[in-house]
Amino acid sequence: MKRVLLLLRKDVLVLRRSPLLLGILIAYPIALAVLVGMVASYGSSKPRVAFVDEDNLPSTVVLGGHRFDVQRTIDKVSKNVTLVRLSPEEASRQLDDGRVVGVVTVPPGFVSTLRGMVHSPQLQLELSTGTISSRVEQQVQALVYSLNRQLQRAYIASNLRYVQLILNGGDGSFLGAPITVLGIQKAQRILRAMPQTQRTAVLLDFLHDARLALANTNDALSSTAHPIELVRAPARGRTWALSAEVQAYALGLTITFLALLLAAGSLAAERDENVVGRLARGLVGLGQLVWSKVALAAAVALALGLAISLAFGVVIQVGGVTGGEPWRRLPLLVVGLVLAGGSVGALGAFLGAIAREARSASLIAVLVVMPIVFLGLIPAEIVPPAGWISALLPFSHAVDFFRSALYDLSPWREVALQGLWLLVLGAVFGGLARVGARRLLA
Amino acid sequence: MTRATPLLAARGAGRRFGHRSALEPVELEIWDGEAVALVGPNGAGKSTLLALLAGALEASVGTVERRNDARVGWAPQRPAQYGRLSARENLELFARLEGERDPQGVTERLLYEFDLPGEPEPSANLSVGNRQRLNLAIAQLGKPQVLLLDEPTAALDPEQRARLWKRVADLRASGGAVMFATQNVDEVERVADRVAALREGRLVYAGSAGDYDRTQVETLSA
Repeated sequence: MKRVLLLLRKDVLVLRRSPLLLGILIAYPIALAVLVGMVASYGSSKPRVAFVDEDNLPSTVVLGGHRFDVQRTIDKVSKNVTLVRLSPEEASRQLDDGRVVGVVTVPPGFVSTLRGMVHSPQLQLELSTGTISSRVEQQVQALVYSLNRQLQRAYIASNLRYVQLILNGGDGSFLGAPITVLGIQKAQRILRAMPQTQRTAVLLDFLHDARLALANTNDALSSTAHPIELVRAPARGRTWALSAEVQAYALGLTITFLALLLAAGSLAAERDENVVGRLARGLVGLGQLVWSKVALAAAVALALGLAISLAFGVVIQVGGVTGGEPWRRLPLLVVGLVLAGGSVGALGAFLGAIAREARSASLIAVLVVMPIVFLGLIPAEIVPPAGWISALLPFSHAVDFFRSALYDLSPWREVALQGLWLLVLGAVFGGLARVGARRLLA
Repeated sequence: MTRATPLLAARGAGRRFGHRSALEPVELEIWDGEAVALVGPNGAGKSTLLALLAGALEASVGTVERRNDARVGWAPQRPAQYGRLSARENLELFARLEGERDPQGVTERLLYEFDLPGEPEPSANLSVGNRQRLNLAIAQLGKPQVLLLDEPTAALDPEQRARLWKRVADLRASGGAVMFATQNVDEVERVADRVAALREGRLVYAGSAGDYDRTQVETLSA
């Protein structure tokens, strides 16, 4: 143990003497994490959808007494897609070559059908075939849903005006023709002024009930339009940039890159320095040499991981971001950082033993780290083989550990499971590195 | 003082790297107070034999025996030290790994005796001669009874060579032994008691320095 610590101290000293290398080793994975985050967020960006107007929509449409600015209404309801006005031919061409993922067509006669308020006009949707077509369909459905909500308000207001006309009487219009309505109130007054008989009493009773019933029409119409209404509570929890998910991936990616590269490079560097033979002749066993690199990876992962977590914590604290537990879970995170750093370090040591030369080891580590990370980013439910391979590598277990440690209400089971995975993988890769380290003597 | 068993012995020890044989099985002993010169052309297997005897390489066949785990100091041909550490830091690290009781004291002594710079200059920036002196100084750590030196004087100036052979003489006087690889016939004649000659990985001559005859060696290896 003492000899492992002596080598670890030496490696830390060497690392401190290489500030440029250390800076690059730290900055590069952080930049990479940001880029991966941006790419991941692109997945939820607005798809480009063609908008074909075959009805020559006017700039404004009046429905039920409501004036709709067509462009503003479209902008308002199309928050999740980028609508691009195109001719039918251009839209078809762009759909074929994939520049738009769907085409929404307003067919001829759309506005007149809408104004008639008797039949539902139809929008036509054409989608490309591909993995995101279902998402685009959902977003166009959401667009139509938003549009319907805007129109429902106008329709309900229009219907309520008829109800008010029936209740109070007066002048109005129906299907464009002027009409004059007596109204229930006036009818009641006329009936009361008449000689009261059993028949007038029945009519007055009916008019009273009808008034009461029509008085509730507003609520009844609204609830018919929206049998279930989704009410969005005020936003709470962290913003996406500070979410536990982002923090877990940032930690996982940074540590994986750094630990893999450091362990691989530093083990192979022992051979470059020609000291393996000197160490192996009874001073430090090859196993101890490997574990010193695993310890180095774990120590650096711990230091860097804590620095990142502290930075997140300070931002959360200073910004008064709700839903975060920046400090309470740090001790649990420390365990995860050490396990993740050690496990990835063992894999790095294995690569270093195979490569035997520091430059080759660094190159191999850089080449290997990308597939490891991307395999861990692919949801296992979508591509099961990616999940199987990723399960045999430390990255995804590290991310799951960090996510659970930072986020779950009761993280113990998940943390124990992922910690065990990291421990076992670390032992396996460490064992392989020990066997491979014999190559360093050749 | 000679004992019943040699300080260090190769018992049919040989080494292969993959399919290539770097050293055919060798029988060789190093006794108390001896100086054995290892000679032969480049690639003959001298460095491999020294590394096997030092324990830096495992023998593919045969064994290497040490008397009561006699301590061995080894200075490979290419200096084995950390380039980003200074001479002092290298010495102190290896002193601790060797289990020296006073690593700092030993470090200061060796810095002085080998005339090494005490500044925190990375050893990679030292001259070739200084790097070789550091290499030799590290081999002195742990109070070795046997020194295995691979072409130790190749990068040393005459004064440093003299100091090295004086140190070797002192070690032999105290019962220690030395085996050194060299291409320098003068060193063989001045320092060695015995000579071992290697050619193409085979031991082609082992005998006293007095009987050593280059012509005879060439005949043996033909």
